[in-house]
Amino acid sequence: MNLKKLTAVLLMLVLVASLAACGGGAAEEPEASTELNIYMWNEYISDELIANFEAENNCKVNLSYMSDNADAITKLTAGGGQEYDLIMTCDAYMESLVAGDYVQAINFDNVPNATANINEAYWAAKEYCVPYLMNYIYVVYDTERCPIEITGYQDLVDPALAGQIGSVDGARNLFPIALVALGYDPNSTEESEIAEAYEWLVDYNNNVVAYGGTELNITNGTVSVIFTYDGNASWAMSELGENNNLVIAPFESDPVQLGFDLYVIPKGAAHVDLAEKFLNYICVPEVMAANLEEFPYSCPNDAAVAVASDTYKNDPARDFGYKQNVFFQEDVGEAITIYNDYYQKLKVGE
Amino acid sequence: MAMSQRAKKKKSLKLLADFYAILIYAVFYIPVVVMMVFSFNDQRNNYYWAGFTTKWYGELFNNHALTDSLWYSVVIAVLATLISVTIGTIGALGLRKFEFKGRRFINQMLYIPIIVPEIVLAVAILVVFMTVGVRLGMGSILIGHCTFCIPYAVVTIKGRISGDDNSMEEASMDLGANRLQTFFRVTLPSIMPGVMSAAFLSFTLSIDDVVMSNMLAGAKQSTLPVLILSMSRSGVTPDANALTTLMILIIVIAMVLNNYVKSALKKRRKKEVNL
Repeated sequence: MNLKKLTAVLLMLVLVASLAACGGGAAEEPEASTELNIYMWNEYISDELIANFEAENNCKVNLSYMSDNADAITKLTAGGGQEYDLIMTCDAYMESLVAGDYVQAINFDNVPNATANINEAYWAAKEYCVPYLMNYIYVVYDTERCPIEITGYQDLVDPALAGQIGSVDGARNLFPIALVALGYDPNSTEESEIAEAYEWLVDYNNNVVAYGGTELNITNGTVSVIFTYDGNASWAMSELGENNNLVIAPFESDPVQLGFDLYVIPKGAAHVDLAEKFLNYICVPEVMAANLEEFPYSCPNDAAVAVASDTYKNDPARDFGYKQNVFFQEDVGEAITIYNDYYQKLKVGE
Repeated sequence: MAMSQRAKKKKSLKLLADFYAILIYAVFYIPVVVMMVFSFNDQRNNYYWAGFTTKWYGELFNNHALTDSLWYSVVIAVLATLISVTIGTIGALGLRKFEFKGRRFINQMLYIPIIVPEIVLAVAILVVFMTVGVRLGMGSILIGHCTFCIPYAVVTIKGRISGDDNSMEEASMDLGANRLQTFFRVTLPSIMPGVMSAAFLSFTLSIDDVVMSNMLAGAKQSTLPVLILSMSRSGVTPDANALTTLMILIIVIAMVLNNYVKSALKKRRKKEVNL
C-alpha cells in the first residue's frame, strides 16, 4: 500500500518536472536572438512595420494581444513577465511597475533613436520605457444632433443629454473628469472628493447609452456625444467623410487627459537585445510616420510627426486649441482601492 | 358552453405559450443572426452596414492569426475533452461504486472549481505555474481547461451510474470476463450517454473559454476567443464573423447528422426487437 502511494507521488513529481522541463527547453537561445515576443493591444501596430523588422533582423516577431491593460499587469505581477520581451502598458502603471521591480532598465545606448526623437515632455519614467503612441481623451459631439453646446465636463451631466452619450470606460478615465468638473485634483487621493465624484458620475451614467465602441456608436447614430480617445474620433471622422458634423468640444478651461501607451522590457525577458533593436526601429522617424498612416493616434515622436503625411498632420481629430491644457494619470497608490470600490458601486449599483 | 369556453381559454393559453417560446428563441438567436449577417458586411471595422460582400470568406483564409488560433483552440478543446472524459469516467466510477475514506469530501470538493469564479482560478493557476517554472503555452492552457472540465465531466457521468446495483458487472464477471472486459463491454456502454454529454460539455467549455486562456496563454499563440476579445477595442472585423458563421454552420450540420443517425439507429433497433 505504502509502496503504491510512494509510486504515485513519484509519478506526480516526474509529471510536474517534465512539464517544467518541456517548457524550459525553448528558453535557451543562441547569442543573437531570433525571436521577439511582444504583448500589446490588437490592431495597434502596422503589419508592414513588423514584417520589415523581421526581414531586417532575420527574426520572428510573435505578437500576442491583451484585451485590457489589467491583463498585462496581472501577467507581470504574477511573474509571467519572462514570457515576453516587450509588454505594452500605460503611464499610470509605471511607478508601481518600477517600484515592484517588474520591469528592467533599458540600455538607451542601444536605442539612440528614442533619445533623439521623443519629446521629453511626454516621457515619464524615462529609464524604463519607450513611449509608443498617446491618446487625448476628450469630448466630441455631433453639432446637428446634440441638443446642447458642450464647453466643459459639467455639461455632460446636463439632463438634456439623457441617452446621448457614448463613453470610454475605466475607473481612471471616468473619475478624473468628475474630479475636474468638481474643481478637484484629477488624481485626488481624498476619499471625500472621490465620493463626491462618484455622485457626479451617477448623473453622468444616467446620460450614457453605452461604454466602449464610442466611434461605432457615433458613426451609426446611436449617440450624439462621445467621450473618447483622439484616435477613435479620427476613425469616426474619416468614416463619416468630409462633411461630417463632428466637432471637438471647445473646452474653455477644463483640462483633458493625455495618456501614453508605452513599451517596457519585463524583468527576466529572454531576448533583450532584439527588444532594444525593436524599440530603436520604431523610433526611426520614417518608420513611425508610416505606422501613423494606419494608426492615426497622437505621437510623442516629434521627428516622426514632422515627416508624417499631410493627411496625418491635418487630421481634424487632433486639431484643437487646448492641447497644452492636459493632465496625466498619476499613480494614486493605496487610494486605487477607493477608486475601485466606488467604480464597482457605479457599475453594479449599491 | 362551459366546454367551449374552456377550449377557448386553452387555445389562448397555447397562443401565449407559443408566443413566449418564440420570444425566448428570438432572444437566443437574433444576435447570432445579426452576427452572421454582418459577416457579409462590406466595411472593415463592422461599424455599420455598408453593402453586401462575400469577400471576408475568402480573406478569412489569408488571415493566419485567425485560422491559426482556431486550429489552436480546436486542438486544445479535443485534448481537454479526451483528458477530462477519461479522468471523469474513472473518477465518477470510483466515487459511485467504491466506498473509501474521504469519498464525501472528494465529492464535495468537486464543486469548488465549478463554483469559484474562473478568473480567481485562472490567476491562482498562473501564480502556481510561474512559481513552479511551467512555461505558458498550449500545455498551460490545457491544464487550465482540464481543471474546470474534469469536475463537470465527473458530475455529468456520475448521474448516469446507478450506485448500488452492480449486478450487471457481477454477472459479466461470473460469465468469465475479466475486469477490463467487463468495463469496456458492460459498464462503459451503459454509461455511454453520460460520457458523451460530458464530452460535448467539456468540448464546449474549452473551446469558448476566454478567461483561463487569456491568463495562461504564452507569447506565441492564443486561442480564438482570446483573439476575438482583443479585437473588441477597435471593432471585430467581418472575417471573424465569417469564421464564426462557418463554425455555426458546421455545428448545425453535425447536429442534423447526429439526429439522423440516432433516429436511423432507433428504427433499426425497433426492427430487431420486433423480429
